[in-house]
Amino acid sequence: MLTFTLRRLTLFIFTMLVLTLLSFSLSFLFPGDTVINHSGQINATASELQLLNDAYQMDENIFSQYKAYLSHVLSGDFGQSMASQSPINHELKALLPATMELSLVALLIAMLTGIPLGFIAAIKHNKTSDNAILSLAMLGYSIPVFWLGLLAILLFSITLGWLPSAGQISLLFEIEFVTGIQFIDILLSDSPYKWQAFSNASAHIILPACVIALAPATIFIRLSRAAMIEVLAASYIRAARAKGLSFNQIIFRHAIRNALIKIIRHVGLQFANLVTIAMVTEVIFSWPGIGRWLIESIYQRDYTAIQSGLLVLSCFIFIVHILTDFIYAALNPLARGNKYGS
Amino acid sequence: MNLLDIRNLSIELDTPNGRILAVDRVSLSIKEGEVRGLVGESGSGKSLLAQAIIGVLEDKWHVHADRFHWRGIDLLRLTIDERKALLCRDIAMIFQEPMSCLDPTTLIGEQLSEAIDSSQLTGHYWQRKAQRKEAVVKLLHKVGIKKHLQCINSYPHQLTEAICQRVMIAIALAGRPILLIADEPTAAMESTNQGQIFRLLANLNQLKNMSILLISHDLENLTHWTNTITVMYSGQFVEAGTTGQIFNKPMHPYTRALVDSSTKANLQLPSKSRLMTLPGSIPILQHLPIGCRLGPRCPRAQKTCVEAPKVSSFHGHKVSCHFPLLHEKVKKTQAKQCSTKGAC
Repeated sequence: MLTFTLRRLTLFIFTMLVLTLLSFSLSFLFPGDTVINHSGQINATASELQLLNDAYQMDENIFSQYKAYLSHVLSGDFGQSMASQSPINHELKALLPATMELSLVALLIAMLTGIPLGFIAAIKHNKTSDNAILSLAMLGYSIPVFWLGLLAILLFSITLGWLPSAGQISLLFEIEFVTGIQFIDILLSDSPYKWQAFSNASAHIILPACVIALAPATIFIRLSRAAMIEVLAASYIRAARAKGLSFNQIIFRHAIRNALIKIIRHVGLQFANLVTIAMVTEVIFSWPGIGRWLIESIYQRDYTAIQSGLLVLSCFIFIVHILTDFIYAALNPLARGNKYGS
Repeated sequence: MNLLDIRNLSIELDTPNGRILAVDRVSLSIKEGEVRGLVGESGSGKSLLAQAIIGVLEDKWHVHADRFHWRGIDLLRLTIDERKALLCRDIAMIFQEPMSCLDPTTLIGEQLSEAIDSSQLTGHYWQRKAQRKEAVVKLLHKVGIKKHLQCINSYPHQLTEAICQRVMIAIALAGRPILLIADEPTAAMESTNQGQIFRLLANLNQLKNMSILLISHDLENLTHWTNTITVMYSGQFVEAGTTGQIFNKPMHPYTRALVDSSTKANLQLPSKSRLMTLPGSIPILQHLPIGCRLGPRCPRAQKTCVEAPKVSSFHGHKVSCHFPLLHEKVKKTQAKQCSTKGAC
């Protein structure tokens, strides 16, 4: 297990190095002066520019420039936003938790609906329920997310009036900013209206999270169905039947864990896709997250914000990916042990 | 008394081109305390037959039988659930490739303990866990695994094939079966391990009077361990009799060919000469010949072989052939010829 953790950690470090290299090179590729792209100070005076050039070591060769950039990034200094002239790390601190919250809730919804449905489809293979679930999955996968978001607002917020259409929480509630993740902040706050705020925040997150979850859930349905069919045809399931175990025992004790192993890595891969969908959905539902901020920065040609936003978002996706790898290892004894010759 | 009595069991497979009769009216009977061998080339339907007996075939296979008696109980009259409960209690099965028959993500100990029926445990529910563990250890000792703690706490991929097969046998023994079906238990195993597994099975047969249906493609090896043998070819019944009858006086041309192709029965053969083999190979399921399926390969095939032969019995030695090799007659005719010629 230690070897496994160390391997994942080195993978993480090297991938982050490559990602910083990419965002570093973006400053050269974007129009404008490199040091201004790095720092985002568009209105700098000559003396300030001189200071910046020193800080980013622009007079040295490209390696020391990269080293200077890396030390800035590692110390949490992403420069200023070109549009608002406020430090980007403050904005990120405020916005990233909201996106994390939304995408993780969406991932949870997608997994909790998609995987059991896929298992049911596999168990009822070639029966009506299987076909129904598969065609539903096909339908869900082919609906574009922006259209679905608008339809959901139209139906659930405007026509039926069940759920709010925009924002993270009603403006009536004053929640102190601690972690940025709304639910945790609400639970930490000592407001007398804590639970009202909590239910209000839950009502706000349902609609965007479900819209985001639809496409990944359909993918999970197909993945888990295929995995379960494969597992149910395996010889250890036949041996378990010959052992005299009941069907439920076979499914819950043997089949589910083995099928989960086959899909858990795909969950990590799908998370990148999910975050992309979340960015679009944040715009539709005015969710104060990093996705909406990033898309706005792209509209405003805020190069500093774009490169640091990309860096932080991909870092988040990669961390989730590694976490799923750990879950995979926890479930699969074959991945944990020492492997020889591999 | 016959433990298991099956008459005319057929297994059909649903394919896009209609149903195919994979196993064609095979009869099989096993007496109490007997080790019966089931021999045939790969693809002759022996595993299918075994899986049909225990009822773990997939839905695409359809099984019919004229008679299916288990210890005098007519199983065809029971509902599927009753039959399954009865058979799972009394019959256990071990498979080829034991490694793939154990759940790769569950510890051996758990897999063993879930095979132990809770009706075997006495005592209150808080004592059950300890009793289960004790029973697991006992089972492992029974199959000759001494390092039980190490074995309980390992995953299947950490053990060797032979130990996995022992664990499979232990799982099979957990239900205290009356009949054990061993489907090529030593396929892909080294010969020392093969011997160990067969000796273990023979011990169980002698000490616990457990009947065993031993499925294999290796007739010569099988003769060491079995009392009676049934031979199958391409899903058809070929010949059944005691091991001596089958190995020493085969009546069916196919059994004859099987015996001739083994080295032990041909010790008198001059060195570096070829062993007798049948030309051709077993027909695939989509192109089964009509009548006797051995027909195209049979050295004694005649026109009547396009109709499936009926089973005829010679002192309990059953053979399904139009032209069985009858040794006594052959000897007699030879003797006659000798006497007419005057010198032999």
